[in-house]
Amino acid sequence: MRASRTENLLRNALAILVIAFFLMPIVWLFTTSLKLQRDTFQLPPVWLGFQPTLNNFAFAINQIQVGRFVLNSVIISAGTTLISVVLGTLGGYAVSRSRLRFVGASSYFFLVLLMIPPVAMLVPFYLIMRDLGLLGTYWAVIILDTVYNAPFVVWMMSNYFRSVPTEMEQAALVDGASHFQAFRLVALPLAVPGIIASVLYCLIFSWNDFIFALLLTSPSTKTVPLAIMGQFSTAQLQWGYMAALSVFAVLPVLLVALVLNRYFVQGLTAGATKG
Amino acid sequence: MLGPVLAFVLAIALAPLLFSLFISLTDYRLTDPTQAKPFVGLGNYLKAFQDKAVLETLANTVVFTVGAVTSQVLLGLALALLMSGETPFMRTLRSLAIMPLALPPLVVGLVWKALYNPQFGPVAYYLKQIGLSVDRGFLGEFTTAMPAVLVIDLWQWTPLLMIIFLAGLKSLPTEMLEAAYVDGASRTQAFFYITLPMLLPVIFIGVLLRTMNAFKVFDIIFATTGGGPGNATSVLNFHIYKVGLTFFDMGYAAALANILLFMIGVCCAFYVVLLRRQRATEF
Amino acid sequence: MSLQKFRAILGVMGATALTLAACAAPPAAAPAAPAAPAATEPAAPAQPTDPTGIVTREFAGSKLTLAAQTDQFVEAFRALIPKFEELSGIDVTMDELGYVDLRQKATADFVGKTANYDLITVDIVWSGEYGQNKWTVDLKPLIERDKAQLALDDILPVMWTLGSWGEGQWAYPLAGYANVLNYRTDLFEEAGVSVPKTLAELQEVATKLSRPDKGVWGIGLLGAKGPAVAQDFMAYVQQYGSSLLDENGKPAIDTEANLKALEGFKALFEAAPPDATGWWWGDRNDAFSSGKIAMMLNWSTAIKNHKNPDLNPFAEKIETAFSPLGTEAGKYGFGGWGIGINADSKNKEAAWMFIKWITSPPIQKEWVDNNGSPIRRSTLTDPELVKKYPWFPILLESYEKGDGDYRPRQPWYSKMEDVIGTEVNAYLVGQIDAKTALANMQKAALDIIK
Repeated sequence: MRASRTENLLRNALAILVIAFFLMPIVWLFTTSLKLQRDTFQLPPVWLGFQPTLNNFAFAINQIQVGRFVLNSVIISAGTTLISVVLGTLGGYAVSRSRLRFVGASSYFFLVLLMIPPVAMLVPFYLIMRDLGLLGTYWAVIILDTVYNAPFVVWMMSNYFRSVPTEMEQAALVDGASHFQAFRLVALPLAVPGIIASVLYCLIFSWNDFIFALLLTSPSTKTVPLAIMGQFSTAQLQWGYMAALSVFAVLPVLLVALVLNRYFVQGLTAGATKG
Repeated sequence: MLGPVLAFVLAIALAPLLFSLFISLTDYRLTDPTQAKPFVGLGNYLKAFQDKAVLETLANTVVFTVGAVTSQVLLGLALALLMSGETPFMRTLRSLAIMPLALPPLVVGLVWKALYNPQFGPVAYYLKQIGLSVDRGFLGEFTTAMPAVLVIDLWQWTPLLMIIFLAGLKSLPTEMLEAAYVDGASRTQAFFYITLPMLLPVIFIGVLLRTMNAFKVFDIIFATTGGGPGNATSVLNFHIYKVGLTFFDMGYAAALANILLFMIGVCCAFYVVLLRRQRATEF
Repeated sequence: MSLQKFRAILGVMGATALTLAACAAPPAAAPAAPAAPAATEPAAPAQPTDPTGIVTREFAGSKLTLAAQTDQFVEAFRALIPKFEELSGIDVTMDELGYVDLRQKATADFVGKTANYDLITVDIVWSGEYGQNKWTVDLKPLIERDKAQLALDDILPVMWTLGSWGEGQWAYPLAGYANVLNYRTDLFEEAGVSVPKTLAELQEVATKLSRPDKGVWGIGLLGAKGPAVAQDFMAYVQQYGSSLLDENGKPAIDTEANLKALEGFKALFEAAPPDATGWWWGDRNDAFSSGKIAMMLNWSTAIKNHKNPDLNPFAEKIETAFSPLGTEAGKYGFGGWGIGINADSKNKEAAWMFIKWITSPPIQKEWVDNNGSPIRRSTLTDPELVKKYPWFPILLESYEKGDGDYRPRQPWYSKMEDVIGTEVNAYLVGQIDAKTALANMQKAALDIIK
């Protein structure tokens, strides 16, 4: 049942429309960051052919000193990603290979953890961090981000490990390898795509987090989204500045996501589609 | 090997939850200089169910979650079917379509707030050209504010569902479909009797992921409407943030948070049971 | 995704990425730059002189963190902080925060006793809450001790409401705002109306000025849920001559007078752009500088930008007048910001030195030139400044007849503001009627104050 030529044309046209919808806000953000204030609000909207300027970026870099916020964001998301992926991969492997029903089902337990609304966690967590004297440090945010990311990785990786064949591992065990060796030498290399996917999700979640950082950071550990919010105030809005600051919040992870684009579904659907 | 992650999670996720259960039974206000935690039993929970603001936000939360999950799953499925072609062109479009996923929801909210602006927003402008406009702007009119916020959420998360469903579609065995066509089935029939049932596990995952996140929506509300106009877009998560982390009424906030947790838990337990049953029949 | 596709995408992003790479180099170095000279500075022979005689090098090498709302005065901080750093050897970091996040972060810092901030800009309406909880230092003893340096007589009396509560002074006057009327002379002439003096005239003039067919409305108002609509509504109630509290300071919101005031407030919205029900301060300023509104009652702090032709194309046609009053005995709305010292700060004396310096008469000129709002009579009457800022006499009189208490500066203000800000907004967008809104407010207010 082959699709006809007209149908393909129609499909392509419709797909272009759909993509235009998904790209339009992003294009608006990037063009606005390069516009002068007076061109920002022109109607009909000007998408190309305006006089570009780097003023907004100069403001973000010199006045707001966005560099330090980018650095904080990098530290927090790198820390979270590293810890979550290491813990989560180990946990996911254990869950997927366990013969105990109870452990096998525990991947759902990890999923349940993801359901905890952030505020439910934040209220007590804020108090605990205060008593530990960790409020305002990178650790406070990294730990709480990890609480949400590690269980997600466990769930994804347990699905993923289930979808890779176990014969070679069993052969290795028969040959006298320890469980950890079987994991490290046999299962882990096979799971690389799943791990990349986990890294991708952890990076996106922690880089984009707003509410945890809002509560748990201090002026010296503040992240980019907070710096953007700080410019929304009672004075006149400068959308150009806003957009330039937002580009710093958007571009790094966007580039990573585009590069790793084909890994997005690894692990999410591994169990359900069996590879 | 489960040890480290379990220890971490138990220590850091469960301890706060137990603590939260405890403070939800007290009238603990951080702004109170004495820092007293007078025990009030279930007082906070009883108060919640008589609090007009809470009931309103509870209803909004349900509307938002049902609206978001339904619209996104349907659209995600439609897009997956539309864009499943293996031509280089389609593959390029697909890789571009994932971009919204990578943006901070806060920035997404701010950008859409500008796009919707009735004075200068491009979206408001184009919609006006085709005869669609509301005086106060889509985020400002209390009848359109919730749908407008839903569109923002839809913009950000439909691509995720699309790629999950695409992965599901690609992994389907083609023999059954071909056999059905040979037997003279129409494409609609083939979709409803063969493709859809086989896609169900993947759809479940999509529904599960989105339900969990839709219940927790915060950033885009914070960035666009602040819960307004009136209380039209005030969801429970946002309300709890205000009670607990703006007014520091910790006991009450903890009680509200536990109610939300319970709702999400029940909802997702239901899905998980369905999902497991589905899997059991498969194996 | 094949490599070719990937290259194609990179190509699209290429231009942006290159631009960014060009810009991205400095940021890492930028934060370090101001610190470097400070460190080597004691050795430098040419010590800059301080015209105020306030700054000493007693605290050189210590650090201060300032939580500042990103209001107009942030520009003045950005310009003046490096000078203070150079004079004192103190490293001052400013954390720029929005209105909502400042309140949230500052409160969290106080209740958490984390002392992340040494200095905090304090909205006038937070005075009661800060004072009651002793979150900031009572400055009375310090003011008494250092009065020789402070030129206290020069600070207008109303300015002290920026931080006074009970017996204490919990923040020092930083930026005083007067509620004034900014209007477009050309549109007023065209419609043949003159500056309104009373609320009734305001309504009449606003209606006459409204030409939705031409995309111009009579007045700009703040309608957004939250602090924005709460502030404008309370200003209206004050101008109307009514009050949300009775003589004993108890909530008396659902009164006949307030019903009239609320309905009058909505009637005024009929002469405002429909989307004004979602406006914050910034939106109204945007509307004024894009020529959408003919007048607005707003804080005096935005005038300078509106009279700048680079920022407002109608700059030449903008005038400032007194805000209209409901009654003859009425007072002008007064607001603005104080600056307080965190009670848990470890650098209280250094912080106090910063406050003394930034509010001192010689520094006021630079403060005002960088978009800060004045607090001193000498600044408002300085001939050179008055020539530059011809609206200063109006400010002076508005301050002299200013009322900083039209919004109750009580400890429960923030919660009350949240309720008023929600209910009035719901009424404006037609979700509930006026009586319900007032009844809801009254009930919530009693709950809050209980």
